[in-house]
Amino acid sequence: MKTEFKNNTITKISLTVTPDRMSLFSSLLGQGFTLKIRTGISVRDLLCRQIGVIDDYLDQRIQTIFLNGKVVDNVDTAVVRQGSSLALSAAMPGLAGAVLRRGGAYAAMRSQISHKNNTGNDSAENGTVMLKLFNLVALELGPLFLKQGIWINGKDLGNFFRRVPDFFWDGCLTAEIDGISQDVRKMSLMEWRQEQIFLKLKTKKETQQQKPYLS
Amino acid sequence: MDKILRINMGDENGPKTNEGPLGDYAGLGGRGMTSAIISKEVPPLCHPLGKGNKLVIAPGLLSGSHAAQSGRASVGCKSPLTGGIKEANVGGQGAQVLARLGYAAIVLEGKPSDDTLYKVVINKDGVEITPDNSLKMMGNYDLVDKLKEEYGDKVACISIGPAGEMKMAAASIAFTDMEQRPTRHAGRGGVGAVMGAKGVKVIILDDTGMPTRSPKDPEKFKTANKAFVQGLKKHPITGEGLPAFGTNILTNVINEAGALPTHNFKTGRFDGAGNISGETQSEIMKARGGIVAHGCHKGCVIRCSGIYNDKDGNYITKRPEYETVWAHGGNCGIDDMDAIAELDRMDDDYGLDTIEMGATIGVAMEAGLANFGDTQAAINLLKEVGKGTPLGRILGSGAAVTGKVFGVERVPVVKGQALPAYDPRSVQGMGVTYATSTMGADHTAGYAVTANVLNVGGSVDPLKPEGQVELSRNLQIATAAIDATGMCLFIAFAILDQPETFNALVDMIGAFTGQNLTADDVTELGKNILSFERDFNSRAGFTAKDDRLPDFFKAEALPPHNVIFEVKDEDLDQVYNW
Repeated sequence: MKTEFKNNTITKISLTVTPDRMSLFSSLLGQGFTLKIRTGISVRDLLCRQIGVIDDYLDQRIQTIFLNGKVVDNVDTAVVRQGSSLALSAAMPGLAGAVLRRGGAYAAMRSQISHKNNTGNDSAENGTVMLKLFNLVALELGPLFLKQGIWINGKDLGNFFRRVPDFFWDGCLTAEIDGISQDVRKMSLMEWRQEQIFLKLKTKKETQQQKPYLS
Repeated sequence: MDKILRINMGDENGPKTNEGPLGDYAGLGGRGMTSAIISKEVPPLCHPLGKGNKLVIAPGLLSGSHAAQSGRASVGCKSPLTGGIKEANVGGQGAQVLARLGYAAIVLEGKPSDDTLYKVVINKDGVEITPDNSLKMMGNYDLVDKLKEEYGDKVACISIGPAGEMKMAAASIAFTDMEQRPTRHAGRGGVGAVMGAKGVKVIILDDTGMPTRSPKDPEKFKTANKAFVQGLKKHPITGEGLPAFGTNILTNVINEAGALPTHNFKTGRFDGAGNISGETQSEIMKARGGIVAHGCHKGCVIRCSGIYNDKDGNYITKRPEYETVWAHGGNCGIDDMDAIAELDRMDDDYGLDTIEMGATIGVAMEAGLANFGDTQAAINLLKEVGKGTPLGRILGSGAAVTGKVFGVERVPVVKGQALPAYDPRSVQGMGVTYATSTMGADHTAGYAVTANVLNVGGSVDPLKPEGQVELSRNLQIATAAIDATGMCLFIAFAILDQPETFNALVDMIGAFTGQNLTADDVTELGKNILSFERDFNSRAGFTAKDDRLPDFFKAEALPPHNVIFEVKDEDLDQVYNW
């Protein structure tokens, strides 16, 4: 990934987990996390040029995209502006899944919620974007974001810590808050009221396998 | 599969069976069979619980063979919920076993003279019908456990719970799954009430000693089936998404689209969606030793079901499907996955349609009988239904009746049947299907078999408003045809995206039946089925005014996108003009 997150304030949490615990974060990634990134650019430029998702992965795997809750059909013209919410999903089942696919044969069936390009001052600038990763996309792209670090709402993080199954903590090897080591089991007992927390994951054993969806 | 079993429950000497050839119904299966029989033989103006109505259970054309995904059955009748024709589609083992026993349909006819409850046993030696009042008001789980002791763990059961016996309009018919649990339901339209009205508690199917159905061209069939399976496995939806997250993979996405009906269709987003999403559900199931990818019948390679255990690792229910999670979840403001699983288990045990009951409880909450989000209150309301209290009888009659009784204006029904889990204001094409389906509001009435693949009804200009009507029409035609084959509708994604998989399906059907099926044949089959159904409804008194969504969808803007349903009535009236 090409994005660098400048973390200089508020609470920083660092966890070391075994690789098999990564998938448990899928539900958290679906709640949304904040990226500090260049905005005012197309969905494709944001995902592929800024973050480093390869074009084929975007074109083939990410079949449903929402920009501020509206379905995106053209990733080259839809502009992600400061404060936008961008949600990414693999192909979905059902008629609804087919209807929500970008550029699909059934796009007419949801035209009221299709994203329409608005003209505006779209100069690229530093900003923030809320990113949500769903289903297979969360499993595949999620670990890369988590290792780089994400800004997450404290309440969402607290709910996540309280909800994870007990065996999660067996695979959570170390925990640090603002650089100070913590008892991992106490993470679920703490109150997380901060608007934004920087969460970063390390895995004990890095997999060497080349990921096919990132450049 | 060359005979029809008819059981006259109203004969003066007790239930009387009659086996006959297919006759005019030759070549039909599944929904094609049920709708043809109902349309031809049932007086459209009869009372759904009276002697004139018939309950038809039909496996698909390919059921009982080695064809992958061919284990769907259709259950048809005049619906006590809608007053129109009904086909409720169901998985489980019933279709496969019934087909191997040689039956293209079982038809329950007449009306018993008293309230004696019967069980029907069908095996290679014939049919036995015996009274068994010891089964009265037994839940589906206890019933199947009892039958297992008597008939072993290989038989398939088709049964009703207390709701069916009480002839509730939301009552379902349970089909046992591979583990012989009553988890698969012909849910919609109150088919369970019709089985209850016939006095039949359970049909026990034993195919011991019966061979798998053979194709006309075994080699071609084997090759086509292999290619079909490969196509399903390599597709990201049928090969990855559905096995990993089940149909509940949709919760997060539909919520993001602002199309997840929440608090009885007040808004399109639910704050608690993340807690009941497919992603969360799968993690819970894995952590508790459940099964994430599991078929509902033998021969399923998609495996969108699963096993949901409690915190101690004990079985509660199968993986609650998206529709159930929505109905008992977001629609009622409930974001507790364990509570939803418990409600699903109760629905299965009482024998109730989860969509209808979730929608009904949502209406009850709107009426002030409970607060949105009150989990225990929702469970208590469902218990009232199971017990058959006066309140329970009202709720068990469905959302429309409950809305009338308690004076609720926002009642999400079409033709008396509750809408499923997609708000038609956000996905307007879905609204066209809800409004015009012969079945009442039904999310599976028009499915994702693309016009481009099947060439059903020609090409569509998506830029034209009327494109939504045309798409809905094409989808309804294609869906009716798929329902006739006994194939799971989830195959649609693979044949939508992969022409070679679609060709494999056509080859497989052709090799099995010995006929060369073309896309035109598929179109004709689908149109014929819809014509049967439409004709029946017309004779039952349905008119264009019944092909409408409730007014509030046109009057109340749905947050977060603040959209209303905009398809014009005159456009809706064009759906069946082909």
